[in-house]
Amino acid sequence: MTGEKPDRALEIIKEFANIGAGSAATALGTMLDVDLMNDVTSCNIMPLSQVPEWLGGAEKIVAGTYTQLCGSLKSGILVVLPSESAIMLLKHLTKEQVDLSNLNELQRSCLKEVGNICLCWYLIAVSKMVDIDMIPAPPDATVDLLGAVLDMPLAALGAKVDTVLAVHTCFKALDKEFEGYFLMLPEDQTLKVILDRMESKK
Amino acid sequence: MKEPRIVGIGQLAVCHSPEQLSCLGLGSCVAVILYDPQARVGGMVHVLLPKAPQKVDLEEKYADSGTRKLVKEMTFNGAAKDRMVAKLVGGAQMFKNLNVQFANIGRFNVLEARKALREFSIRIVAEDIEGDRGRSASLDSATGRVTVKKVFSPTRVI
Repeated sequence: MTGEKPDRALEIIKEFANIGAGSAATALGTMLDVDLMNDVTSCNIMPLSQVPEWLGGAEKIVAGTYTQLCGSLKSGILVVLPSESAIMLLKHLTKEQVDLSNLNELQRSCLKEVGNICLCWYLIAVSKMVDIDMIPAPPDATVDLLGAVLDMPLAALGAKVDTVLAVHTCFKALDKEFEGYFLMLPEDQTLKVILDRMESKK
Repeated sequence: MKEPRIVGIGQLAVCHSPEQLSCLGLGSCVAVILYDPQARVGGMVHVLLPKAPQKVDLEEKYADSGTRKLVKEMTFNGAAKDRMVAKLVGGAQMFKNLNVQFANIGRFNVLEARKALREFSIRIVAEDIEGDRGRSASLDSATGRVTVKKVFSPTRVI
């Protein structure tokens, strides 16, 4: 789906996501006052049915914040936190007891806001790099099975294709038990634009 | 007991008693489950989108063409159309406050699946659909019972 040179295209997209995720992790780290570090980005082309498994199994419970780009570029972006990390994050920010099955208004909003900040910093960094404005829709957050969280973004892509390019960047706290990842699911057309822009920069 | 076979997004499976089939992490996706109690043949399709376009790439991805294909596969495996009963699981709206094109695709998935089942006059005997929670469904083809698991709520057998 990425043309004749898939390896090279994947490398470029990796670089692109690295920069976005780096910026997002810095923002999140500053807000939480922890040192966050990014792991290597991995990206892969795979059939829709394999995406949940690639990310660690459809039945894992995660907190997911999702938004879509609604400008000229189309892509779904997710921030996913494993349940333990979500609890830690919410405790840290709200100083309350957290029950993921019954989040109160403040905690839910908090989760959304953290996702929002990450997503926006991600987008600021990458949109500067390729010089295209990226406008996200207001995000929404939920705590549920990973497979269920992924359904919406996959449905948005699945209307056009059977195989997707998923770009995945982990972040980890150095001193605390905290981790999560960014997932970008760009549409074909968007991918082409990004690749073109990145190529012409070099 | 043998591990249930996992049916991923856009996949279809048919099994004979006592095998089990499972769809994990259904959000807006819908699992259309058919069962013939006499032949003890069960089938499941995990659909992502409601309506197939003119040129279908993967029939199992859509509620209408996926359901049709499942009926065909079931018949091929010894089930009879007039004995089959259907159960639907899934079709939730995971992100309630999101204002995008696909915001309530789950509901449309359910509607299309029902429409396709009506074409074959297959009765829907049970549903666990919509809401805002993800589900996992597994079919026991020995009994035709479907176990629906939701996060933070009790398991339900339909």
